[in-house]
Amino acid sequence: MDLLNTSVATVESDSEPYTLVVLAGEADVTNSGALRELLDSEVDKQPRTLVIDLSELRFMDSSALHVILRANRTMDRQGGVLALASPRDPVAKMLRLTAADQLLPVYATVAEATAG
Amino acid sequence: MTGQERAAPSRRPDAPPPADALVSHTYRADLAKVRALVLQQARSAGLTEGRANDLVLAVSEVAANTLRHTKSSGTLAIWQARDEIVCEIQDEGTITDPLAGQRRPPADATGGHGLWLVHQVCDRVELRSDEAGTSIRMHMTIQPPGLSADGSATACD
Repeated sequence: MDLLNTSVATVESDSEPYTLVVLAGEADVTNSGALRELLDSEVDKQPRTLVIDLSELRFMDSSALHVILRANRTMDRQGGVLALASPRDPVAKMLRLTAADQLLPVYATVAEATAG
Repeated sequence: MTGQERAAPSRRPDAPPPADALVSHTYRADLAKVRALVLQQARSAGLTEGRANDLVLAVSEVAANTLRHTKSSGTLAIWQARDEIVCEIQDEGTITDPLAGQRRPPADATGGHGLWLVHQVCDRVELRSDEAGTSIRMHMTIQPPGLSADGSATACD
């Protein structure tokens, strides 16, 4: 999976540990299946907070967005929060145009996403 | 259905892309290559970085539909005409909804945002589809330097 690189960590923080998923590269329909598997397996562990760091993501299409929205829905049901952090301009614009930024919180940094 | 007028997108354009198109590229799964070609041409046409990325998103969404809805390859053509850059995606898929992408999907819909985004970010979109296939042309106006996207002159120092 070269176009999209992913990493997952459980981060200890002052308040509570959270799950941090880092996406790097380009997320599109050719790798949204793999992204879905990754998010599904993390969401299944029922974390209170799951943050997706988008700072290294150069491109995201609607199929990747749909995978994230699906994960958000499950997190909601489980009483957890899915947040996005530091999207680059093109990704931020896409989140705005689809109104996805109204459905789930988008923060400028991972630190802000996990504060409090 | 014989002889019956259907509410379908207009027929595909008779005029093919110009023979001197800047890019004519056949793709299947390599959408990263499609995006790289669009970005390169959009930048050299003089689109701002933001509008270049808009065009990349639009073309990528349409090319993704080739993968999703057809079993064959698609073709990307890019050319410049007067004051605009045009990207055309052609494939063997058929779009039967004449308003495809013109209604905003609910934000929590987990599908249907692709063509909506195309219509949001492009200056003009032409969609033509029939049994033989679909062609979607995405137009972006090239602003002369010193003009902002809304056509007003930018402040000079």
